[in-house]
Amino acid sequence: MTALLLAALGVHIAACVLVTGAFFVLLLAGPPPPICTMRRWERRVLSGARWLVLVALGSGVIWLGVRTALFEGRADAAIEARAIRNAMLDTWPGLVWTVRHALLIVLAAFLITGGDVSTRRNWIAARGEAFVLAALALVLLGGSGHAAAISESPWPLAIDMVHLLGAGIWVGGLPPLALLLYATSRYAATPDPFAVRAMQRFSRVALVTVLVLASSGIANALLLVESVAGLVGTAHGHLLLAKLAVLVPALLLAAANRALLPALSGPNEAKPSAAARRMALFIALEAGLVLAVLGLAAAMTVTTPAIHGDPIWPWPIRLSLDALPDVPVIQNLLQPRSELVLAGFGLALVAVAFLARRRRVLLIGSSFVLVAGGVAIGLPPLMVEAYPTSYARPPLTYHSGSIAEGMAIYQAHCAYCHGAPTVGGEAPRGSAVDLRARLTARRSAGELFWLITHGLPERGMPEFGSRLGDAQRWHVINFLRAFGAASDARRIGMEVEPDRAWLAAPDFTISVGPLTPRTLRDYRGERMVLLVLYDLPQSRTRMAELARHYGTLSVLRVEVVAVPPRASPSAIAKLGASPPVLFPVVTDGNEDIVATYRLFTPGEAHAELLIDRQGYIRAIWRSDQTGMPDATAVQAQVERLNEEKAPPPLPDDHVH
Amino acid sequence: MPVWQVVLLLNLILAVGLGFGYGVWGHRLAALDGELKTVQAQVERLERELQACAAGARVGEQQWEGRGIVRAVYPRLFLITHEEIVGLLSARTTGFRVAASANDGRARVGDPIRFWLQGTGTDNIVLVRMEPW
Repeated sequence: MTALLLAALGVHIAACVLVTGAFFVLLLAGPPPPICTMRRWERRVLSGARWLVLVALGSGVIWLGVRTALFEGRADAAIEARAIRNAMLDTWPGLVWTVRHALLIVLAAFLITGGDVSTRRNWIAARGEAFVLAALALVLLGGSGHAAAISESPWPLAIDMVHLLGAGIWVGGLPPLALLLYATSRYAATPDPFAVRAMQRFSRVALVTVLVLASSGIANALLLVESVAGLVGTAHGHLLLAKLAVLVPALLLAAANRALLPALSGPNEAKPSAAARRMALFIALEAGLVLAVLGLAAAMTVTTPAIHGDPIWPWPIRLSLDALPDVPVIQNLLQPRSELVLAGFGLALVAVAFLARRRRVLLIGSSFVLVAGGVAIGLPPLMVEAYPTSYARPPLTYHSGSIAEGMAIYQAHCAYCHGAPTVGGEAPRGSAVDLRARLTARRSAGELFWLITHGLPERGMPEFGSRLGDAQRWHVINFLRAFGAASDARRIGMEVEPDRAWLAAPDFTISVGPLTPRTLRDYRGERMVLLVLYDLPQSRTRMAELARHYGTLSVLRVEVVAVPPRASPSAIAKLGASPPVLFPVVTDGNEDIVATYRLFTPGEAHAELLIDRQGYIRAIWRSDQTGMPDATAVQAQVERLNEEKAPPPLPDDHVH
Repeated sequence: MPVWQVVLLLNLILAVGLGFGYGVWGHRLAALDGELKTVQAQVERLERELQACAAGARVGEQQWEGRGIVRAVYPRLFLITHEEIVGLLSARTTGFRVAASANDGRARVGDPIRFWLQGTGTDNIVLVRMEPW
């Protein structure tokens, strides 16, 4: 069924592209002269376009039927009127399909009825209308693609539409041009000036179109593939690479055709018609290659975009900036996508080489030697060991429930060798790695998953793939991330450091009695959270103080969330009636929150953590150190956060 | 008819069709959606008035039902952290005046309760009944 869907979609896209390109070339060439060969060429192109519109409609109907069957999960839905109607009118891709096919029907009717186009005005109106209808039907295809679904912003859709139009003009224009050159070289010794002019015009337009296609394609890839891992490790990325591999010979043929262009009309050329025939052959080959690209593009539309896929890293090494020494300046310099900086540097050198008129070969050679030398020197320190799951995305969020679960698993299976799960606790035994060390933090979550699953036999670490389920191993990784972050949390003091947000607060569920639970994440962008880990009776005075100042804190857009050490339905009642405690007091799931946040505030004492609106821990107060600040001091820290000009980006919901 | 005129006519039909579809049909859809919401609100209001009448309220008064946790108890006022009260308040902590008949003195801080409010709007609602949730 999927193969049929793919075939129908491929044929449909190819037909739409070819129709658009055919009318573009007709318009570009202009009304043909009253020569039998040229008129016949136009009739052939028009006849082909009529058939292609019918093919587009037929394959579109099959595509809709198969998609409906796949959507409904039963084959007979493909021919069931009600199911088809629902798919057409109740889904966004269905509505897009309906509008596009309505345009194709109008185009088919317009082409079949024809009309007298003997005057120039009528000719331009007829061909222009056909081109507009075909191009609209083509670009609207983007409305039901990945780009439209991946973001609410209109830009990805606009970029995709530009890419489709570019494909229509370039790819669709090639077959009529090949036909034109073949027709003009068949019976005459020199190509008709009409054909030569059409070729020259198309050559100029195609150069711009290919540049537009390349830039919109890169933008699309950045949106849908996002990373090198997505490119080399997912089916979507592989299809994109295959597309690029087929495009390279097509572009080489296009370059060869550009080089052949002067031979069509040059005064010094001996056999212009032979050049035209060779060019027709090259263009036909180019068209065949780019039609194969369309097939791959169709396959990409029915494949999960790489950005949502789970990449499988194919090589035993990967590049990592984390391997550099801890020099903040170097880190900051290299943060904005080193691969783009390198690529940009290389391209700039090549561009300079091409622009220079003298010693071009020397310049190109030198630039490549420089880039190769730089890469050879610069890359080895960045290479680190990699595994197939190095870029796997954790399915579980960075949540206190997962972290507490991971801590329990760690205690049972890992603590004997790696040490107790307490910050500042005992060192690991023998050759076991200290999981609080920076080295562990540098490993990606996917690498930790691989190591836990398969073990490290040479270092005596057993495999846990057969003993722990996938989810349990991810729980352990969430715990390890929290454990590593907790060691760094000692750097966070009682005062907010403006514009230095780096410690993401693990999410947790705020269950207050039978009320609908909320999560810390729900406060993002709205309120800060003062998380209070308290225990009675020693925290009673502090809780009363917070209760009295809750109104002021609330005005400053701070929510106080109080968490006693144990879950209890009577937690609110135990705080007493006076002063009234109006902030949320967690009555369920407390153990997970306390176990997680005690990593950041070791000890049994009362502790408070100020979490900013983005979800970062910005200040920690521990009663066993210098005591709790009074409410005015808390407000001062909140004001500091309120004065921050540029809020940091929201922390990711998953560990990396 | 010359082809350019056919093209012009066709484009006019497409433009008018699009404009008609978007302008008239879309506008009608939005209007119908608005009407539906108004009617739904009216039905809900009438249902609340019916409930209020059945509970002995005056004409024009409505009745709302809510669920929440008692956070503070005063002789004539309860502070309650409640879930959304449909047609009245979003989820938050609110102080409600309590009718003498509703306060039997058993409600304590931290109790989860179901409660019923009566009144004509947010400024004059009174908690008239409550029971354990």
